[in-house]
Amino acid sequence: MGDITLTMNGAAISGREGMTILEVARENGIDIPTLCYLKELTPIGACRLCVVEVEGSRMLVGSCHTPIAPGMVIQTHSPKVLEVRRVLIELMMASHPDSCIVCEAANCCELRMRATDLEVGLPRFRTRLRYFPLEDENSNIIRDMSKCILCRRCVTACYNTEGKKMFSLAYRGFESKVIYDLDKPVGSDETCRDCDTCISLCPTGALRQPIKFGQRKKGPVLYVKG
Amino acid sequence: MSKKDATKKTFDNILLTLEETQEKVGYLPAEFMVELADSLDVPVSDVYGVASFYSFLATRPPGRNVIRICKSLPCHLKDGQTIIDTIEKEIGVKPGRTTPDGRFSFELTNCIGLCDGAPAMLINHNVHVDLTPGKIASILDKYK
Ligand code: SF4
Ligand code: FES
Ligand code: FES
Repeated sequence: MGDITLTMNGAAISGREGMTILEVARENGIDIPTLCYLKELTPIGACRLCVVEVEGSRMLVGSCHTPIAPGMVIQTHSPKVLEVRRVLIELMMASHPDSCIVCEAANCCELRMRATDLEVGLPRFRTRLRYFPLEDENSNIIRDMSKCILCRRCVTACYNTEGKKMFSLAYRGFESKVIYDLDKPVGSDETCRDCDTCISLCPTGALRQPIKFGQRKKGPVLYVKG
Repeated sequence: MSKKDATKKTFDNILLTLEETQEKVGYLPAEFMVELADSLDVPVSDVYGVASFYSFLATRPPGRNVIRICKSLPCHLKDGQTIIDTIEKEIGVKPGRTTPDGRFSFELTNCIGLCDGAPAMLINHNVHVDLTPGKIASILDKYK
């Protein structure tokens, strides 16, 4: 038994000091969807998909970075929470290229998976599309920033073999973009090694390995609603 | 942070260093950013990330006069787009560019705190508010 008791979806549960709402929920078998969160890394709080309702809080709170407190009353799947999660996914989809049908990552795309789970249909509108040229000069990584949802996983996770960080976030608002160097394409002679870290963490098809079609393919054959 | 700390170059106060160079050189040359990144032992993409976030830091050499039109919501609702289009027609280059004769750089910026006079713009450090397409030509005339 832990030392902090709280109420989650009507049930009394407990967790240990310093745990986040998300961690306690997962420990108790409650599935809160996440996109930017990675278990091993410091929470970034970028995607907001993990929001939950906490009684007494004016706004929804991000469960991946909010520590639990004694007596908290939390709703993880209330109508309000689900509505917000759906809108978030819809917004991401509204600025995403319509290339799912030919996308390498389609069968293991977390964005698509979340959209299916949350029963988000076609976006009702389009936001300004973000188109960037494909970066495919490097023999270890292909970057298609048009598909990037700015979760920042690759930014946080990348330390290449020389201990150097490859990516950073630049610009602002609609123009925000994960950049390399002085916003240059990852060139052929770059320090990027084939560690695969960022590629395996990217939730969408924005980062991938240069594999030819018909070769080794990642993930299940077809994504089925999970 | 003590005054001494503020003058010591660290990634935490990188903005001060960037502003200093912006003031002196007029923009942030690539070589400068690379050097700064090296001396702070951070990737240059981090430095560029900060530099590109702020509308008042330039990463390309600016023209003699810098036009900054607000693109934030209040100005947008007051039809700031028409002003942007008018300027574009008037000087012949799109936002983010400098005219070939170097007379104007054309930038869009986030809110400049002049919402009460929306749509608003700055040229160099001068404020121009309550803009209409008709006013643009005569305003631009003042800047050679
Ligand atoms: S490239 Fe992928 S991992 Fe990196 S921020 Fe974009 S979506 Fe996230
Ligand atoms: S998972 Fe919590 S904000 Fe993205
Ligand atoms: S929104 Fe344009 S000045 Fe504030």
